[in-house]
Parts: sequence; C-alpha cells; structure tokens
Amino acid sequence: MKKKWTFFLFAILLLFISGCSNDAEATNADGKIELDFWTFWGSETRRPIIEKMIDDFNNSQDEIVVKHTYVPWGDIWTKNLAAVAAGNPPDVIVNDIRSVALRAENNQVEDITDLMSDGLEEKFDPKLWETVVHEDKTYALPFNTDTRLLYYNKDAFREAGLDPEKPPRTWDELKEYAEKLNIKNGDTYEQVGFYPGWGDFGPISWMINADDGVQLIDDGEVKINTPAKQEALQWIVDFKEDLGEETVQNMSAEFGSEQQNPFINGKVAMWIEPGTFFTQLDQFAGDMDYGAALIPSFTEETGNWSSGGGFVLEIPKGAKNPEASMKFIEYMTDVEAQTYWAENNFDNVANIEASEKALDNLDGKAKEVYQKTLESLEETDFSTVPLEYPDYTDLVNPNIDDALQGDMSVEEALEKAQKDVEASKRETE
Amino acid sequence: METYVGNKKKMRIKNFFIYILLIGVSIIILLPVWWMISTSLKSPGEIAQYPPTFFPESFQFSNYIEAWQTAPFTRWTLNTLFIAGIVTIGSVLANSFIAYGFAVIRFKGKKILFGLVMATMLIPGFVTLVPQYIIFSKIGWVNTYLPLIVPAFLGSAFFIFLLRQFIRTIPRAMIDAAKIDGANHFQIWWKIILPLIKPALITVAILAFNGSWNDLLGPLLYLTDENLYTLQIGLQTFKGQVSTQWNYLMAMSTTVLLPMILLFFFFQKHFIEGNNLSGGQKF
Amino acid sequence: MESLQREDRVEQRPLPLKKIETTKNKKPNNKKRKPSKLAVRENIWGYIFIAPWIIGLLGLTLGPLLFSLVTSFTDYNITSQMNFIGFDNYIKMFTADPLFWTSLYNTVYFVIFSVPLTTVGGILVALLLNQKIRGIKYFRTIIYLPAILSGVAIYFLWMQLLSPSTGLVNTVLAWFGIDGPAWLFDPEWTKPALIMMKLWGLGGGMLLYLAIMQNVPKEMYEAAELDGAGGFRKFIHITLPMITPIIFFDLVTSTIGAFQIFQEAYVMTENGDGGPSSSLLFYNLHMWNNAFEIFDMGYASAMAWILFLIVMVFTFIHFKVSKRWVYYESGDE
Repeated sequence: MKKKWTFFLFAILLLFISGCSNDAEATNADGKIELDFWTFWGSETRRPIIEKMIDDFNNSQDEIVVKHTYVPWGDIWTKNLAAVAAGNPPDVIVNDIRSVALRAENNQVEDITDLMSDGLEEKFDPKLWETVVHEDKTYALPFNTDTRLLYYNKDAFREAGLDPEKPPRTWDELKEYAEKLNIKNGDTYEQVGFYPGWGDFGPISWMINADDGVQLIDDGEVKINTPAKQEALQWIVDFKEDLGEETVQNMSAEFGSEQQNPFINGKVAMWIEPGTFFTQLDQFAGDMDYGAALIPSFTEETGNWSSGGGFVLEIPKGAKNPEASMKFIEYMTDVEAQTYWAENNFDNVANIEASEKALDNLDGKAKEVYQKTLESLEETDFSTVPLEYPDYTDLVNPNIDDALQGDMSVEEALEKAQKDVEASKRETE
Repeated sequence: METYVGNKKKMRIKNFFIYILLIGVSIIILLPVWWMISTSLKSPGEIAQYPPTFFPESFQFSNYIEAWQTAPFTRWTLNTLFIAGIVTIGSVLANSFIAYGFAVIRFKGKKILFGLVMATMLIPGFVTLVPQYIIFSKIGWVNTYLPLIVPAFLGSAFFIFLLRQFIRTIPRAMIDAAKIDGANHFQIWWKIILPLIKPALITVAILAFNGSWNDLLGPLLYLTDENLYTLQIGLQTFKGQVSTQWNYLMAMSTTVLLPMILLFFFFQKHFIEGNNLSGGQKF
Repeated sequence: MESLQREDRVEQRPLPLKKIETTKNKKPNNKKRKPSKLAVRENIWGYIFIAPWIIGLLGLTLGPLLFSLVTSFTDYNITSQMNFIGFDNYIKMFTADPLFWTSLYNTVYFVIFSVPLTTVGGILVALLLNQKIRGIKYFRTIIYLPAILSGVAIYFLWMQLLSPSTGLVNTVLAWFGIDGPAWLFDPEWTKPALIMMKLWGLGGGMLLYLAIMQNVPKEMYEAAELDGAGGFRKFIHITLPMITPIIFFDLVTSTIGAFQIFQEAYVMTENGDGGPSSSLLFYNLHMWNNAFEIFDMGYASAMAWILFLIVMVFTFIHFKVSKRWVYYESGDE
C-alpha cells in the first residue's frame, strides 16, 4: 500500500515538472504591445479561420501582437464579467450583438467613440451599426451576423403538385402549401408540410413578423398585446390544433437533441434556419433538391421580417491598451478579414463591401442561398435587449407556452404577458 | 450436515436473485452509456440519420484519434491529472484532519463553528463567484493552478461533514484508551482514526478526484493560458456556434471517463479490505 | 450539531457536571489534573485541528459571503454601481416577480421527490452491492458509472433517450404496453424526467452507503445469525441503525444539493430559459439569469439569502429530528 502511494506521488511530481516546463509565456522581448483576444471559436472548423486572420494582422504591422485565447461559449461572458470586476479583463472580446447597450449601461465595455477612425460607420450595415451605439456613443464594432430563411424541399413540392420555383410568399400561402405537403399514413404523419413552432424561428419572431417589424418592446413601449401579434399567436395555435398535440410534441422532441434535422431527413418539407444551415445541407442532404426563400410576410403589404443575431468585437472596461485594441478591431472588421471570414464560414458579416465580395466569390447553390441571406438582412429584426425590460422574454415565453398548451386563450396570454412585462419596468439613468 | 447443505442451497437461490437484480440494474445503467459509445463510433452522416441507429453501421474508431488530434489533448490530460491528483491528496488529508477536530475534540465554540461549516454549504456559489475571483486576482493567483488546488487543502464543508459522520461511528472507548496510553490527538488521528475510516477516505478520494476531474467552471474562470487548460474545457471545443461534432464529443467524453473508471475499479476493492480493520479488532 | 448541543447543555449545568467528574473520574491517573487546564489544552488542540478550515473561511469564503449579504441590499451590477436600496430587492421578490414563485415551486417539487427517492435508492443499491459474490467489483463499477459521467454530453444524451417516439425510455415502456409521455416537452413531465435522470445517477450516494456498511462489525451479523435472524431482520436491526449517520448526512446534503439544482436545467432548456411553461425554471436558474444575463447581482444576492434561510430551516429540522433516529457508536459526543 505504502509503495503504491509513493509511486502515485512520484507520478504526480513528474507531471508537475512536465506541466511547468513550457508554461512561461514569452513576455514580449521586442517591445511590442501584446493583446489578449478572447473568442468562443474553438471548433475544428472555426478556429483555423480566426487564427489565420489574427496571424495576418500580426504580420501586417510590427507594433502589436495579438494572442488568441479560446474560452467556451456562454461561459466566456461570465469569465469576462468577473475579469472586468477584478480589473484584469482581456483586451478584446467577442460579445453578443443584442446586448451592447445593456453592457454599456452597466459599464462593462469601453466607449470607443474617440478611438475609432473617421468614416467607419459607412462601412457597416446600418441596422447592425445601430446595435453598437448607445446614447450617441459607440461601444463596439459589429463583426458577424445571421438571418433566418425558409428552406423548402423542391422534391416534395413537385410531388405535391406545387411549383418548386414558387415558395410561399405570405402566411396564407404558407399554410395552404403546408396542408398540401402533409402526407399522412393512417394517424401518423410521414411528412409534415410545415409547423411554425419548429426550426429556428419562435413564436416571438412570428409575432414581430405579423406586426410588420414592431418589436415586443418598441422604443421603450411594451407592445405585446397588439391585434397583429394576437393574430400571429392564434395562427400558431390553429396550426398546432390541425396537426394535433401529439404530432407536434413528438416531432419537437425528436429533433430537440440537435443531432438529427427533420428537414434533411425529409420528415418536414419546409423549415426555418439561419443562412449557415446551408453548410449542413451541403454536407448531409445528399442529392435533395431544395431552395431557400425569405420568411413569408403576414399580408401582401407587410415585410418579410426575419430575426437575426450576431457578434461584435469590443474592449472590456478597464482593458490596458484601448488604442492598440481598436486598431486590431478595425482590422478584423475591414474588408479583407471580413471577406475571408464570410467565405470560409459561409457566415454573414457586418462589413458591406466584404459581404458583396463574398457573394461574388461564391458560386452555385452557395451563391443562391447567400444572396437570399443578404436580401433577408434588409428586413431582419435584432430585438436588442431593452434597458427598461431586460428580461422581458423570460416573462413572455411562459405565457406563450400556456397559450400553445391550450391552458389560456391567446388574448388572455398576451394580456398577462403585457401586464407582467409592464410591471417589471426598471429605472434607467 | 443437513442444515449446512440447506443453507448452501438457500445461499445459491439468494445469490441467483441478487445476480438477476444486479444485471437488471446494470442494463438500465449501461443502455445510455452504450448510446454514448455508439454515437462516438458513428460517422457524422449516420448521426444525422433519422431514426437514429442503435448499432453503428460501420465502426469509425478513427473518431477517437481524430478527436484527440483536434486540440492539445495530451497536454490537457496531464494538466487535469496533475490538478485532480493534488486535489485528491489535499482533500483526504485536510478534511479528515478538520473532521477529527469537530468529531472528537471538545472545544469552545465548536457548535457555532460547525454551524458555520454547514452554513457555507447553503449559499449558492454564483453570488460569491465574482468576489472570490477578485480575491484570487488581487493576490495574483489568476492563471495559475493555485485557485483550484489550495482550497482543497483548506477543507470543504461537504467532506468535513461526511468524515465527521464516519468518525463518530467509532466507539469513543478506543480513543479514550489511546489517550490513556499517552497518545496525543495528532497521533490518534494519524494512527487510529485514519486506518479505521479507510473506506470513508477512499470515498472522499474518489469523490474529490471525480469533482476535480469534471470541474469546468473553476478551470474556465481561473485559467487564461490555453497551455494550462483542462479536459473539460477541451470537451467544449466540439460544441460549436453552428453545429456540434457529436461523434468527436462522444468519443472524447468516453475517453475522459476511462481514467476514472480505472481509478474506481482499483480503489473499490479496499472496501472489502477495510472491513477487516474496522471494528473487527476491538470487538 | 445535535451532539454539540447536548454537550453544551451539559456545560451549562456546571454543578452536576463537576459532581459527576469528581465522583466518576477519580480513578484514572490524572488526580492532579484541573478540569479547566485539560479543557484549555483540548481547546488548543481543537483549534489546531480546525485551523485549515478557519484559514479558508477567513481568507476565501467569509468575505465573499458577507459581501453578497451586503449587496443584497443594493442595486449592485457586478462592474460599477452599488447603491443602497434597503429592502427593495426582497420586497420585489415577494410582490413583483411572478417567476420567483414559479422557480420556488419547481425547486420544492424537485426536492420533495428527488431526495427521498435517491436516498432509498442509494441504500437499496448499496445493499445489493455489499454482497460478497463473484464479479461484484464489476457491478459496483458499472453502477457507479453515471456518477462519473458529467458535462454537456450526458445531458444531450438524456434528451435523446427521453425522445417521445424514438427515445430508449419510451421504447422500453412500450414493451410493457405503456404509452410514455413527451417528457421534456410536456410541462407536466419535465420535472419527473429530471428526477428519473437523478435516480439513474445515484452512484454517488451508493458509494457513501457502501463505505459505511464496511464499518458494521461482522461479529454483529454472526451473532445475529446464531440467533436465527434472517436477512431482513439483520438489515432492520443491525445494518440500518449502523448506517444512520450516513443516511442523515445524505439527507442533509442531498436536500441542500437539490435546492441548488442548476446545471441540468441550464443545459437541457434552450438558453437556460426554463423549458416549456417555465416548468424547469429552478430557483438557481432564475437567480443565474438575474445575475449574469441582466447583471442584477443585487437581486440575485437577495434571492441567494432567501434560499439560504429556506434551506437552513430544512437543515435545522434535519439536525433536530436526527436526535431521535441517528445512532452514533461513539455515544453522545
């Protein structure tokens, strides 16, 4: 027994020595400024791309050296928060595009208004630029973004006698096509045409689409219980009743684990996902013939409102080298780096010129889908976090669920949601 | 003679039922584990298939090698082993020491202090996370292993309470006898109590190693140099922003399990050995 | 704690104690010893032994704990502001936050069902694994396995297993003619699904019971066997009383742990939003969302201290009631 323990201790000591050997990070000998850049892009596909961009930056000048650190998704921001509180944050971090103002309000991020070069604003998609400005000050530069599209199975369209080149343009058409695309075998569905609760477009997104882009919190006003939004939620409830509770629940669950996708598996004929879904289709869909379309509009008059998100590059409050960091951020959001990112990730980027360049460089199906994402971005809602009601979704969602479950009528649910959110109002300075 | 044979027969029937039960429970436990292993051997295309397959169509053992090569996993494994090893030693020594104090020695304020031990367990860690980080940051421990290792040597409420319970199952007479023989508390702790609670110490060792091995938040908060990262952070790399590499994630999750299974397997036999030590000599 | 209380009670009655000491403790070789001197020496020994914990408490734990108590009376946002706002956070919690009550209900539900089930399950499985039969070490390892498994992978695994029509759980139920529920997608079944997951992973508790069962002297069983006691009677009269200190430990710690359930719900519900109809919005998840999603750490701290009070009441009751049923071989001390 004793021997075993000493062996164990010895093994650990060895490990310690091996652990220490190359810990020492080279402190910069040639007087360059060293920047710490945190991202959550650690996957086999994204990591080489971001690191190539960093290398390019490091080679493009000789004052600044950027070091990339991968921190896992989600936790990266908890860690950043603790680091800001302790006064030793990274120099640059990737952060969520919807909550820039919330972070600015809470003093977590540096104001870069006076640091950035002139005329930067023109380079970016105006909608994205809006997200980084809070009370006339700029707090970040937008990096990448996304938007949802309606993917539809052309083979299934043909079988149902629908024109594969004419995807549904309005909700009415969507419903009509969905019914035609349903294939039933006895009581169970072999193919479901469409259900608005699946895919990456939730009830809230439908409600905004119906209200022609008016968010739940619109310019500080709570606009949850509006006629259009009621109609939208009722539309989903009706859809659910038509398909049957069990079908909806079962299918939602089948694909909740994120491993299988029902569109790729031919179980659902129309499906909403972000533009990057193309890479999965490209890899797994085999020879399925599919198309991508804008999200159908509520009526002929309203817009094809989609929902989107994205990420910004920002300097956490208290970072040591804001000037150098700004140079790096500007490089990463400039045409060359952004084009490289867009092409290799099939991602939408914030830089307008880079988006166009990326589109030019793509071809075939990829180009077709990418083109649609650019169109969709024109009418994409980012639902930035409202400062007076930062947690409104937490309050709205359970009520929507209750309406979908049939525990409440749509009117009751939205009225309650409206009240709950109004009661949660916070004072802002 | 008759009864002896009868007993043996009874034993055999009893064992038979025990085996049936054990096998039943084991199947329940192993089915999900099989799911994990099976996924780890599939190709990405097969994972995307619906309905999911129970057995992989073709066994992609290469997933294990490829997953291992996507990041410096060798280095991260050594780091994790080092941290978990030290934490284990620290936990066993410190907690048994402190628990002895609370279980055996009569001192002033014990009741209040033990109440405090329990109280530290009751507050959710989230709200102390930031101030604790600030403390470690101010003393310059961020980006070292110290915030992960040093607390293990200062005791944890859970283990202190656990070992206190174990020590209190030891008859007081044994300790008193040792005292009469002139042993001080330090000697009693080391020479009498520790051997007697060996099953408990092994339990603490297993649980401490386990906890440290699976800890994600600690390393994630305190380590900023990727060379110092641990396996649990490494596992996160397979979960991407857009899609997850399920085959790699499951392959690495399975690999990460192995050292702990081995550790448990070799430690658990001491449960039997411990039996002879405890109580047996005295009664 | 209960023993400490008893001890204090004895100390509070100085006269009878001295009487007992002088009459009973005369025979050992410490005639000259003054009780107080011994007490001082014992005090010092006591503090030496708990010194590591005291250092940890003063250096690492106590500061942040008190800090969070103070911040619960402020609008602390982690990075910059911290204004005293009196009891506003507490008032809001009880009067203006509907999700607070939802999260409390969900958590209490989980505690009430998961704690007894995992405790009884842990004891039964440990009994099963405490047999001296061939291959037992393999069974022990297998049954402990789920306790080692952790991290995101295992939760996603369970999401697959709980799939209503193709998941393993409902497939097995269908063999017995049971039409399984939609588990994580039906608000009525989300919490039972999580409790089932917990039961699957009861290896940790099993380990504790297995360890304490080794402490039961074999001679006691042998003596009972001579008296013709069967397996059940041996369990009730020997094993059960002997393992009460660990049952007690398991009850206390798993109650605390169940009140703080977080990870499962955080990973298994999208963005930690609490699942269908907020049925998986547990107390700590709600707290987390307040602290790190909208940076209202003051409110989160207030929630933490209310939870502290709730769990403390439970723990206190556990300790009080334990006097009636927990048996310590060491006697009162």
